[in-house]
Amino acid sequence: MNALIILTLLVVLMLTGMPISISLGLTVLSFLFFMTEVPIESVALKLFTGIEKFEIMAIPFFILAGNFLTHGGVARRMIAFATSMVGHWHGGLGLGGVLACALFAAVSGSSPATVVAIGSILMPAMVKAGFPRSFGAGVITTSGALGILIPPSIVMVMYSVSTNTSVGALFMAGVVPGIALAFLLGLTTWYRAKKNNYPCQPKATWGERWVAFRKAIWGLMLIVVVMGGIYSGIFTPTEAAAMSAVYAFFVAVFVYKDMGLKDVPRVLLASANMSAMLLYIITNAVLFSFLLTHENIPQQLADNMIGTGVGMIGFLLISNVLLLVAGNFMEPSSIVLILAPILFPIAMKLGIDPVHFGIIMVVNMEVGMCHPPVGLNLYVASGITKMGITELTVAVWPWLLTMLGFLVTVTYWPTLSLALPRALGMVSGG
Amino acid sequence: MKILDHIEEWIVTFLMGAATLIIFVSVVHRYASGLSIPGVQDWLLSINMGWAQELCIIMFVWMAKFGAAYGVRTGIHVGVDVLINRMGDSRRKKFVVFGLLAGALFTGIVGSLGLRFVWENGMHYAFLTATGTPPGEIFEGPTTPDLEWPTWIVYSVIPLGSYLMCFRFLQVTVAFLRTGELPHHDHGHVDGLEEDEALTPGKEDAIYRMDDNLHPHGLNQADEASRKGDTK
Repeated sequence: MNALIILTLLVVLMLTGMPISISLGLTVLSFLFFMTEVPIESVALKLFTGIEKFEIMAIPFFILAGNFLTHGGVARRMIAFATSMVGHWHGGLGLGGVLACALFAAVSGSSPATVVAIGSILMPAMVKAGFPRSFGAGVITTSGALGILIPPSIVMVMYSVSTNTSVGALFMAGVVPGIALAFLLGLTTWYRAKKNNYPCQPKATWGERWVAFRKAIWGLMLIVVVMGGIYSGIFTPTEAAAMSAVYAFFVAVFVYKDMGLKDVPRVLLASANMSAMLLYIITNAVLFSFLLTHENIPQQLADNMIGTGVGMIGFLLISNVLLLVAGNFMEPSSIVLILAPILFPIAMKLGIDPVHFGIIMVVNMEVGMCHPPVGLNLYVASGITKMGITELTVAVWPWLLTMLGFLVTVTYWPTLSLALPRALGMVSGG
Repeated sequence: MKILDHIEEWIVTFLMGAATLIIFVSVVHRYASGLSIPGVQDWLLSINMGWAQELCIIMFVWMAKFGAAYGVRTGIHVGVDVLINRMGDSRRKKFVVFGLLAGALFTGIVGSLGLRFVWENGMHYAFLTATGTPPGEIFEGPTTPDLEWPTWIVYSVIPLGSYLMCFRFLQVTVAFLRTGELPHHDHGHVDGLEEDEALTPGKEDAIYRMDDNLHPHGLNQADEASRKGDTK
């Protein structure tokens, strides 16, 4: 009963269009005030202690690092390197775009940022080379989504915060599915390019490839700093995020000279604005999940769900549908923060691995980012390509179908995500 | 008012940069003090950086609270606006005002709750001792574990930030009622980013401030659409 009241209240408040953070907070306040004896004074303190965790601080650091890297220097060289490697196959620049997105995703934790960084350089080049606009838009919108699957990933940090799963294990689990999805998107690009006979680039010699690699090395080194740092145990994920922010600052200002020192305060302010918005959702989501736990709702839902005899396969199907539907209304971080505390306990009871479940959620979010009415990637791509949302939706579908197929694979084949963290001893069992 | 805007921006920028530097320095310190350089190593070992993590958390929480208030002014907070964006102007207007006032209500309540908490956990004591009155039975309040700062000062960001945010919500409401415009509509674009907007340093947050159904549309959409048509 209480579960119904709380969830209805939340949904109604959200649909009025107020910020998600406010609807979460108001749901908690009004329920505690009208329905329970819990002193609401405890709420204020929770707004501070809710984000008093060092793990959460990885989010502002990754955002800052990403914002220093968006300004072209790193992205341009990654595209040049990627194109020199795969550009001679069908759909050359498109394939280069997929690979460049995958590389950039390994230094950035956000999908729309990946679309901006790669898309705004690649898109004009592709149009110039004779590709139709819709082809380029389809490639960057969907490949940009790799940003949250290939580590580092802000959405994974969110999941780890709301379920107490190890960030390191999640990051590692994202590597193989990330590469697999990049490969599938590349295959789709190649197939469509071959069918329509799109242009390819002249084949680069190994010498040219080496030069392109050397030029891209400053950006590629960041992958080593973050991933290497975390897995060798030199840094915690949050420290790695801070190091990558300082490194990205150094590269953007002093090496590639994308910006001057005078621009740095404005980048800090913009990053703080984005981080504060996300942190504010986190604080209120922590409050909300405190209310859920206090009312024992996840437990009840789990018992009900198992009482109906729905097995692991059925539950995963329901979760996927629920997450895809939510993707039509909300932005990924909010979906993870609201739905993870509800779905996670059920998944645990059914014996699903917490890390695997996290990867399923992330892939779901990727799909949500690429279709209307809300998909962030779609809107960013619309800005870059100057195409309308309806037109883009049509352009994206071949890649989106590939992603949906991939989602089914990831959901029902846990080994794909768990093999690597298991081999590294970060996830038990096997 | 302009001064308040600037102070807000300055605090948020400073906290973001400083927290990053502190963690960077503490990590470098941790590894540098492991190197056996005569003299330098002893000096490095004598510096205690154990407080860095705690300070970083405090700074980010402060940044988050003031940044959330700044975010109201820039229109960055995301919501579920698919439904209300399909409504006509006059009905949507009611929902937008309701949403903004709900924000003001929530932050106002939280600010007051926070103020009471801070007052009872050391501010009252500090106030009495500062004015020379014997505090008597009043509780002195706890301190933070590493820095040993009084927690009431650290937690005072809840009332400060929340009241500021409440003020910002009211400010946006007034402006909306007057002009029918919402903050993220500054640039008058209807969908997507302005040309190369996110590539201009300092405009990276544009990706969360688009007309993407995560934010309510302002009124007079038709005007904006035609303006966009003109610039094309």
